[in-house]
Amino acid sequence: MSTPLVELRNIHKAFGGVRAVDNVSLNLYPGEVVAVLGHNGAGKSTLMKMLAGAYPIDSGDVLVNGAKVSIKSPVDSQRIGIESIYQTLALADNLDAVANLFLGRELLTRWNTLDDHRMDAEARKVFERLNKNFKNVRIPVRRLSGGQRQVVAISRAIYFNARILIMDEPTAALGPEETAMVGNLVRQLKSDGVGIFLISHDMPDVFALSDRLAVMKNGALVGTYRTRDVTEEEVLGMIIGGRRPEGKIQTETLDQSATV
Amino acid sequence: MSPLIHSLRQAAIDWRLVLMSFVLLLIALIFGVLSDGIFLSPENLYNIAQQTAVVGIVSAVAVLVIVARHIDLSVGSVMGFVGVLMATLMYTFNWSWPAAILAGLAVAIAAAIYQGALTAMMGVPSFVVTLGGLMSFRGAAFLVADGKTQPVNDPFFQRLGGGFDGAIGTTASWVIAALMSAALLWSVISKRNAKTRYGIPNNPAWLDALTFLVPALVIIGFAAAMNSYRIGSKDAPQGVPIPVLIWAGVAFTLSFLVHHTRFGRYVFAMGGNPDAAALVGIPVKRVTLMLFGLMGILIAIAAIVSIARLNAGTNSLGTSMELYVIAAAVIGGTALAGGSGSILGSVLGALIMQSIDSGMLLLDVSIGWRYVIIGQVLIAAVVFDVLYRRYTGDTT
Repeated sequence: MSTPLVELRNIHKAFGGVRAVDNVSLNLYPGEVVAVLGHNGAGKSTLMKMLAGAYPIDSGDVLVNGAKVSIKSPVDSQRIGIESIYQTLALADNLDAVANLFLGRELLTRWNTLDDHRMDAEARKVFERLNKNFKNVRIPVRRLSGGQRQVVAISRAIYFNARILIMDEPTAALGPEETAMVGNLVRQLKSDGVGIFLISHDMPDVFALSDRLAVMKNGALVGTYRTRDVTEEEVLGMIIGGRRPEGKIQTETLDQSATV
Repeated sequence: MSPLIHSLRQAAIDWRLVLMSFVLLLIALIFGVLSDGIFLSPENLYNIAQQTAVVGIVSAVAVLVIVARHIDLSVGSVMGFVGVLMATLMYTFNWSWPAAILAGLAVAIAAAIYQGALTAMMGVPSFVVTLGGLMSFRGAAFLVADGKTQPVNDPFFQRLGGGFDGAIGTTASWVIAALMSAALLWSVISKRNAKTRYGIPNNPAWLDALTFLVPALVIIGFAAAMNSYRIGSKDAPQGVPIPVLIWAGVAFTLSFLVHHTRFGRYVFAMGGNPDAAALVGIPVKRVTLMLFGLMGILIAIAAIVSIARLNAGTNSLGTSMELYVIAAAVIGGTALAGGSGSILGSVLGALIMQSIDSGMLLLDVSIGWRYVIIGQVLIAAVVFDVLYRRYTGDTT
């Protein structure tokens, strides 16, 4: 059995008296897409935000490549190779696409000033890989289309060579063409060995893209299954009722036969 | 789309600033005609420029505070407090002016950091913190010298405020204007070269030529106007007033921070989307604290210019200056919702406000009407801002 890329062990998180995440354990292997499902407020976004360093973890361990890591801030998380694409896109709307791509990790000249031209040139290369028609990279991103904004968000993950990618509703605001672009990108990143946590409400997306799926309800994990082992109805049953489907094997650790 | 319009759209030009420059020009021309040319005389332009400097200096940094979704209502009171303190140290305690300046600077930074820490670390809204500061520091300004006016007698120090001996003379004015124009030319050319080197599309040459020529002409024209103003009892013309030079230095430095440093970029990112700023790992608290610290430094500079201009520190120094500072920033296109604003805008905003005020004074408009009109100008600026954002789709 290979070492998981990410191991979340017995993660707890409470906000005030509310148990947002309650003793959740979840693994992610290289080149694997694990869909994380559940109602709004089920705890899936909170779990992922802890991995991304946005919230501190109350208790539990995070292991990356078998080694325990300490994630206290977004910077810690980025340093480990974890990148996140948020539902809200986490873009500064008043800045242009180039500034957003490098936000928090600007390229500097030897005088410690912003190396604007180098960032501009590098950004155009990345954007072009994702969308050939994306040229207006120097206007505020609030004036861009949903697809172009998503290109900027995804570019952050690609440019900085993410090993672990968290995608929170990546196709929620997109048209069909742009959704297909995201799908292709996910497959490409998979083949490069990137592990992806995919938060989504969109069942066709989940079944098309994920290898395994984990369902959460009220902060707790209902179960983790191979995507091809379960039906959409069974998944909905878990999300809504918290019922485990009968006779299906849980795959909390991915066995060899399940790897792609 | 015609190639002309296309290249104008692609170019990173702030059209609002271009428009405001025309508004300022129009105001100057109208008052020039109404006052039979007195408004446009070198003497009047000299006075307007040096009168605007104090508000302009503080407004330049207030822009950044507002961009970061904060506000500072205490600027006038802190300036009064620090101004009286410096004057008292020099007059009552016989400190040398450099020592007094350093002490004032330290106190201004401490006051700003105190308010900044409450805002950044404790999460108290800056409106409340600085509203308290507005009252407390005005009280402190009274306590320093028990309400007594403290004269400033050092002749060198007095020059920092402008006035009779407070200008740099013709030669230095020409040299500085030439150096600034050369620096501008160099920056435009090096930007073009860098873009070519990296294969980034460039602005058309004529547009870049204009972005050099127009400001260069304004700078040289201003120097020429200041160099043609001679006070009757003096042999030589005045040249650029020192407070204006300080203001220009402040505006240039802050513009540099905005465009070329992480600090400036983070301030705008925090204003545009505070959640995103935190999620990408921007040290929001530290940047906020630095921002308030910067405010402290510039308040100290403004206090120096102020007491030097008045030749005294009084406990009422800077009273209601916060209103003019915020008004200048807003007229200059800074959105109170945060995320957008520019230093050059605050310069234009401060000049527009002072020009209207001085122009009306020249025309013998009564104080009551002046207040009424300045207030409505502020509202007109915000209405324009709302319409402009609606038109460009930049609703926040």
